[in-house]
Amino acid sequence: MGQYRAWVEAYGVAFLEAAGWTLAVAVASFICALIWGALLFFARLRGGIWTDRIVDGYVQLLRNIPVLLPIYLIYFGFPLAGLLWPAAICGGIALVLQNGAYISEIFRGAYKAIDRVQPDAARSLGLLPWMAFRKVTLPQILVHSIPALGNQAVLLLKDTSLLSAITVVELTMQAKVLTERTGAAYAPFVVAAIFYLAMVSVIELLARTAHRSVRWK
Amino acid sequence: MEMTSSDVWVMAHAAQISLALALCSIAFGTILAVLLTPLAFARLAIARFAYRLYVFVVRGTPVLLLALLTFYALASYWGRISPYAAGVVVLTIYLSALFAEIFRGGVLAIPNPLWDSSKSLGLSRRSIFWRVVTPLVARYSLPPYLNVCVMAVKASSVLSIISVWELTFASREIIERTLDVYRVLAVASVFYFIMCFAIDRVGRWMEGRLAAKGFAGEPA
Repeated sequence: MGQYRAWVEAYGVAFLEAAGWTLAVAVASFICALIWGALLFFARLRGGIWTDRIVDGYVQLLRNIPVLLPIYLIYFGFPLAGLLWPAAICGGIALVLQNGAYISEIFRGAYKAIDRVQPDAARSLGLLPWMAFRKVTLPQILVHSIPALGNQAVLLLKDTSLLSAITVVELTMQAKVLTERTGAAYAPFVVAAIFYLAMVSVIELLARTAHRSVRWK
Repeated sequence: MEMTSSDVWVMAHAAQISLALALCSIAFGTILAVLLTPLAFARLAIARFAYRLYVFVVRGTPVLLLALLTFYALASYWGRISPYAAGVVVLTIYLSALFAEIFRGGVLAIPNPLWDSSKSLGLSRRSIFWRVVTPLVARYSLPPYLNVCVMAVKASSVLSIISVWELTFASREIIERTLDVYRVLAVASVFYFIMCFAIDRVGRWMEGRLAAKGFAGEPA
């Protein structure tokens, strides 16, 4: 244990900073992925058959390749296109592209779970289609999606570790740097794991609380 | 510089290694999960706690971090070890937690009356396990199990970062040599897509077949 204490005292600030990067990338990417996923979902809902096919192709493709490929695509591809963006932004975009695909499927699953007669019932009450969607369908989609979105947020948080492959100094990279620089066996990785587990626990708690607070209203 | 057709062959070879890594880890991970699942239902509270802790830690930590931790930890005990061995160990640990949770869900999905009726038939604990629990859990678990198999193929790409030469590592090598980013990644995507999509389709097909026989899904 003494080893760990010495670690935390000497490198606590470095770890906190790295954890800040992890959290910042994860939160920003998750918000953008929610928006991107919602756009994809609405495109499939409202668009014609070709929109549906294109979005479906996009979703299937990104669900069946590892995240590292979009990360490399943007990190190595953008400079070729003349865009010299920071690695953290490139990685963030890749995470948004992939998680947006998953999130659009989550919304679609939640939408399908809604009873088909409800839109008709809402219309028979005199609600316009748009109001029926906003007041009846949309709230249910959001409520049904919360647990799956919580899971997705955990997956996204863990995937931010892959940005270490493109030089972003987040938790995993920081742990690796400190391991190599100080010759420690593996203590920094244990510290990084504790940070991740704490963040995952907070996300799970938030998702559970959010779901419980809206479920029966 | 453009990638050549020999680069495509190199990538095809690398894709086989990715698949082999994934399949090995799926096999070992399944065995480990079968051993872990009973812990979740053990009478001893400490065994249940150990199971939950294992699942929590493995599922809450990024695969890359697990990989680095295992790689460096194993190396500090046994000197430099093969990254392939470390890679299979890591994926096995990762998959065993996911599989164990799936099997646990499968056991929980067995309708309660079934336990009583098998006991009332006088089946021994052993026959209950082999003739009632195992076939049902296998059927309930199959669709999510294959989902995790897709994740195994994708997770194997992470091992490229601990210097395991597989599809992602080979792609990055070729990109750095030729700068033909788009084409290399397109080829890599095709290989990954074929591997993952095939597993996914098999999963859906089986789901359909099992549902038709009334086994999959929520028990009545």
